[in-house]
Amino acid sequence: MMLRLLKVRGHSLFPDFRDGDYILAAGTPFPSGKIRAGDVIVFRQPGYGLLVKRVHQVLEDGLSFIVCGTQVESTDSRNFGPVHSDQVDGKVIWHIRQNQYRKETMRT
Amino acid sequence: MLYRLIQKLDQSVQIESVDAHCDIPCGIYDPHQAQIGALTVIRMVDLIESMVKEHGKGDTAEFINSMARYIAVKEEHAELTKHEIRVIWGDFIKEANLEEYPQLNGLVHKIMTLGSKARQTVDRETAVALLEAVNEFAEIFWQIKGKETKRVKAPYAPAEEVVYPVL
Repeated sequence: MMLRLLKVRGHSLFPDFRDGDYILAAGTPFPSGKIRAGDVIVFRQPGYGLLVKRVHQVLEDGLSFIVCGTQVESTDSRNFGPVHSDQVDGKVIWHIRQNQYRKETMRT
Repeated sequence: MLYRLIQKLDQSVQIESVDAHCDIPCGIYDPHQAQIGALTVIRMVDLIESMVKEHGKGDTAEFINSMARYIAVKEEHAELTKHEIRVIWGDFIKEANLEEYPQLNGLVHKIMTLGSKARQTVDRETAVALLEAVNEFAEIFWQIKGKETKRVKAPYAPAEEVVYPVL
């Protein structure tokens, strides 16, 4: 399992994730297996680069995901359609918030 | 503590960023400027027509100067109206909104053509049609935002009806 420390840029997942927060993303194979609705994933989207979004829905094939932000203006599956598992770089397992000295462990 | 440590690390090794992308300015969309633009176009048409009525042939420097200014403002505001609608349509409106409001694409196209026609002509009917199309767009926009709207006469010339959100 590969771990990556990343910095969140933008407000699409506000207030859950804020611009400037840090996240730790675990690469495949994920410690807990499949990606489920509610997971926050890091993925590569052609034309958009490396993105972080929450999985709204896992499609029937189990390999494609509808991702969404929290804002009406968020750029997400409404713009680019489902995300395929090949595009997924990692699942967020740790969120380091700014101005708060607590860590939040997420489901993995 | 941990955040600060990572922030220090970030300053020295530049941690890769991942985008939680939003269009900037995030969330600030409002058709108001487009409505003001369309109202201004009507106002300029009225001023141009009354200038011609009052000064007839209009061969004085003052007439030409005023007329040039009215035309310039009409051009600018018709274009502003088109620009503002394009931004909301392109950046704010999502596929699901287009499905919910199937008339939206046609309406935006209508605003584009009316905006161009308002620049090419001095025609009050066209200018009023432009405002009405922008008002219809504003009503849909505020419905998407979950806000009720009301139609009121603008409290200034040309005193045409404008859609406002009930906030």
